[in-house]
Amino acid sequence: MLEAAIEILLKTVVILALPLGALPLIIHVERRGAAFMQKRLGPNRVGPFGLLQPLADVAKFMFKEEVHPTHVKPFFYTAAPVVALVVALLPLACIPVAGPIEAFGRTIFPEVFRSDMGIFFAFAVSALGSYGILLAGWASNNKYSMLGALRACAQMVSYELSLSTSVVAMIFVYGTNDIHQMISSQTGYWFGVIPQWGFFYQPVAAMLFLVGIFAESNRLPFDLAEGESEIVAGYHLEYSSMKFALFFMAEYIHMIALSALFIIMFFGGYSLLPGFDLIAGNNPALIVVLQVASLVIKVALMIWFFVWVRWTLPRFRYDQLMNLGWERLLPLGIANLIVTVLFVYFRNR
Amino acid sequence: MEFAAFIVFFLIACTLAGVLLGISSLLGQKRKTVREMDIYESGVNPVGSATRQYDIKFYVTAILFLLFDVEIVFLLPWAMAYKETTNTGFMIGGFVFFMVILLVGYIFVINSKALKWEE
Repeated sequence: MLEAAIEILLKTVVILALPLGALPLIIHVERRGAAFMQKRLGPNRVGPFGLLQPLADVAKFMFKEEVHPTHVKPFFYTAAPVVALVVALLPLACIPVAGPIEAFGRTIFPEVFRSDMGIFFAFAVSALGSYGILLAGWASNNKYSMLGALRACAQMVSYELSLSTSVVAMIFVYGTNDIHQMISSQTGYWFGVIPQWGFFYQPVAAMLFLVGIFAESNRLPFDLAEGESEIVAGYHLEYSSMKFALFFMAEYIHMIALSALFIIMFFGGYSLLPGFDLIAGNNPALIVVLQVASLVIKVALMIWFFVWVRWTLPRFRYDQLMNLGWERLLPLGIANLIVTVLFVYFRNR
Repeated sequence: MEFAAFIVFFLIACTLAGVLLGISSLLGQKRKTVREMDIYESGVNPVGSATRQYDIKFYVTAILFLLFDVEIVFLLPWAMAYKETTNTGFMIGGFVFFMVILLVGYIFVINSKALKWEE
């Protein structure tokens, strides 16, 4: 009993510390990446390569004045950033960082919440993300905030449809909802070099899912919740100091969690990168380390992709965004599902 | 047992967010002026209330999302059950029937211009 409690606590701390510890680094990469693409230097004064800049920012957030305006709905105004952050953290609970580990005479699963409905659970809780935003917009009692929240929410639910259709197609292909089984069916190679990742089975679903991630985490080119010239900062307009920081953290953690899910479904999750299996050999401890490294490298590449897209593409117009979601991506997702199902049916007949 | 782990995770996440908020309200500078407590409307005096009427399109979008999302939720257990059944013909027939209904509904929604944002 005590052993189990310690195990749960340890896993929870590690799973929470990994993304939260990586956050300052990610924000730094984002700012330096922006500077790199715009031919300027970016933050490089605090510490080596400016690496301590994010920590200085955190200290600044703590010592900033916490404005609590008089016109807001007090309880929900304070609750909204907490809801946003907690809901963004929840999907991380069922993401495994490595394969099942045989140690101490039993099998340890390196995720907090072991479930055979892992994928289902992850999408159920990540869909709650719109609540924090809607709550913030409504409780702020400000026209910009309300409009920003409504826009963000309508956009998130619209793109969730095409995202879910691609998830259905993937669950159909794998025939399972269990994350470990999903990943183990993606290990192995074609012709000894090309990894058998889900991406090669379902490129259309991967594309839909990728667009869905951008829209769900409110990143450019889909960050219609913000818009300097029309609704200023959107739903977090009336928030300051740490309350704003919580929304900021929630956005990045949502990005990390959805990237990890994308990696799990389409790029083999923690399965070893090509070449790593030669290094690992049959040493079980080394395999676990390399699995964690593989997942981290894949997620890091995804995060770089987010930064790359952000500083390359301009923002959509709102009607273009909704048309793309409802009239292009949703039918495409349904068509992809129908083609997949019929293909599998006629091939196995 | 597995769910207990999730509850622990949830509680620790809540505590973390609470502690972060607590730190800034303890350490933060305290110098309140009247103007900064007012509604931010790009510097001009606020006009009217924020709880006014908004475009009904947002509401329509939410309702339509509910309809389509329920359809997708029905498909998830179907996709899982497919591998375990022997009568695949029946499963495919049901799927095609379901998709035809979904398609008719989708065409109706698009034709009714419920989702047209530009006027």
